[in-house]
Amino acid sequence: MKVLASYSIKGGVGKTTTAVNLAQQAAASGSRVLLWDLDPQGAATFFVRVKPSVKGGADRLVSTTGSLAANIHATNDPAVHIVPADFSLRHLDLALDDTKHPTRRLAALLEPIADRYDVALLDCAPGITLTSEAVFGAADALIVPTIPTTLSERTLDQLTSFLSEHPPAPMVLPFVSMFDRRKRLQRDIVEHLMADVVGFLPTAIPNASVIEQMNIHRSPIADFAPKSPAAMAYQHLWADIAARIWS
Amino acid sequence: MVGSLTESGFVFDQPRTLTTTLVDTFDGRLHRAGLRLELRTSAGIELVLSGDDVVPAHLSVDVVPRVVTDLAPGPFRSRIASLIDIRALLPQVRVRMERSVGLLRDGSGKTVAIAELYEHVHIVDRPDIDRFTTIEIHEVPGYAKQARRARRVLQGVGLEECELHTLAQCAAAADVDLAGFKATATVPLEADMAALDGIRAVLVNLEVAISANWQGAIDETDTKFLHDLRIALRRTRTVLAASKSVIPAEVLDPAREGLAWLARATGAARDLDVYLLEWKGYTDPLGVGAAVSLEPVRDVLVQHCADAHHELGHALRSERATALMTEWRRWLGEPVGSDGLPPRADDPLGKAVARRIDRAHRRLIDQGRLIGPDTPADDVHDLRKDAKKLRYLIECFSSMLPGRPRKRYVKQLKALQTNLGEHQDAEVHISLLRSLTPALVSADANAMVAVGELIQRLEQTRVAARAEFAERFADYDSPTTQRSFDALIEAIAT
Repeated sequence: MKVLASYSIKGGVGKTTTAVNLAQQAAASGSRVLLWDLDPQGAATFFVRVKPSVKGGADRLVSTTGSLAANIHATNDPAVHIVPADFSLRHLDLALDDTKHPTRRLAALLEPIADRYDVALLDCAPGITLTSEAVFGAADALIVPTIPTTLSERTLDQLTSFLSEHPPAPMVLPFVSMFDRRKRLQRDIVEHLMADVVGFLPTAIPNASVIEQMNIHRSPIADFAPKSPAAMAYQHLWADIAARIWS
Repeated sequence: MVGSLTESGFVFDQPRTLTTTLVDTFDGRLHRAGLRLELRTSAGIELVLSGDDVVPAHLSVDVVPRVVTDLAPGPFRSRIASLIDIRALLPQVRVRMERSVGLLRDGSGKTVAIAELYEHVHIVDRPDIDRFTTIEIHEVPGYAKQARRARRVLQGVGLEECELHTLAQCAAAADVDLAGFKATATVPLEADMAALDGIRAVLVNLEVAISANWQGAIDETDTKFLHDLRIALRRTRTVLAASKSVIPAEVLDPAREGLAWLARATGAARDLDVYLLEWKGYTDPLGVGAAVSLEPVRDVLVQHCADAHHELGHALRSERATALMTEWRRWLGEPVGSDGLPPRADDPLGKAVARRIDRAHRRLIDQGRLIGPDTPADDVHDLRKDAKKLRYLIECFSSMLPGRPRKRYVKQLKALQTNLGEHQDAEVHISLLRSLTPALVSADANAMVAVGELIQRLEQTRVAARAEFAERFADYDSPTTQRSFDALIEAIAT
């Protein structure tokens, strides 16, 4: 099982839509996918229509008796399962801090179910916290949505600096998110990111209203607008990621 | 039946015609791993890998995969590759049906139970088998109660629960064993049975393996068919060689001669198969540049391999092969009279086998002790053949040998065989590469340099294996191994 985390220090960059749509695309490409919603807002859980509930809350989940298997729910896609989030995850940092090896705890929770899935996709809350470090300890790769702004690029730099100072680090796979081609400045920044930042994935996800419609349809874009440019972009993005991971 | 579920809240879509083929390897590797791989061809080609308590995986493909490398790299392929390796995917049973899916959703639109209705289920090309209807209730993880309730509803209208899924029912109806063909070297044997009876039972079992792999070797379905055919032939020849005073000469001699011819006829194709299977392992360490330069060499090998398989097919289809196997099966199938049997035909099997295994073991020890750093490669190869014969004897009669000493002894023998195998493979492949050199005169200089590098690498492997031989043989020729061997023989000799 490969563990991928949709992660960014910055909020509002499309982490959850990335996680949910990539989970769908991974499943369509033959993977068995476990989506793990680590964000207390529970948006990924909402998108797949599962009740936001973690048995015993964050404390029990990361305790020595906690298990992911007990919290797994199917989604409407038979090949995608989810460990839902609930509001108790707002205390996840504190709960992890109470464990013996906090930065290894998420990896330990994933280990017993590694044979059941090909891909675990972690939808992370923004920020760089103890939970983030536990995500870095579990993930094979960080999928980093980067909106084409100077500030976003700066947070990507912060992330790569942090990871280089805290080895072993997962692979970092940044990509352009919420790209508005009509804006000249964004086009220039994207051109610069693709040309100058090592490892940037070639597919950019457009800033499209169809992505916002996920809130209404409560499902990945490919389910209700499979031919839309955004759905196609996520398909290509997954192909980019798969090529890096399984090449 | 659908009505009762509809009343419980299930919503069914319109029935659609679905043609699905259950595929697996000849030896049922997916089935044995608890998986089923379906090839669905209703709209495009879709592969579905599922199983009981297994998250299903779906993959759309452009062409029907025959071997795992026909699939694009990714988790689906990796998962199957780890199970089937080089084996071809073969159709087991092809089924057509009208399928409709019923979903039970909760208030937020979340699916909480799935029902699949299969109507007019029939096996393609088998009109003799009755059509049937079945419904499968799938539990959705996290929502066990709803599936249980749906099952109760169906039981309430008088439906019987079936342990087999729909495709397994079809396979059973068509007499297809989803476990596939699995060759075993041995059969149940008793040490006090007559030697001829025991040996014939082993030979019958080996003949089944020969027949099972025959056509696959001709068709080149996958390289394992030829491999398994050769193993069955070798085991048969080893047992025959050990049966001189048990099997009548008028049966034994033509069978040995004919099977020796067959073994020779299969040799070149198998050697080239092995070379091509090992190719990546040989060339990858040389670097990308050398691997690219060696492509013309690989092309030549592929052509040689195709030629060798053509010859092999010719031999296996020949009148000589047909007559040989017909006569061999005839003798195995007929009861043997008591007149004119060789002197030891009625000896206890245990004693007869113990005598032969003991002789083979002592020969291996004696010959192995003669091997030194300067011994010609042919003598080392002969030792390898002796070790193989001994191993085959033990395997073929293993059902009457005590498990623990056998395993301990075979472990040491295997270690010695691995070493001898590495040496011989390198030796054969070096000589084959040298023989190809004239065919490469038109290739560029880089190819010639790369061939030189490859020969050098194989030579290093050969030298290393030869250097390691003394240690491996000392482990085998040790009091510990001898103790295991004595315990092995003692159990059947007395």
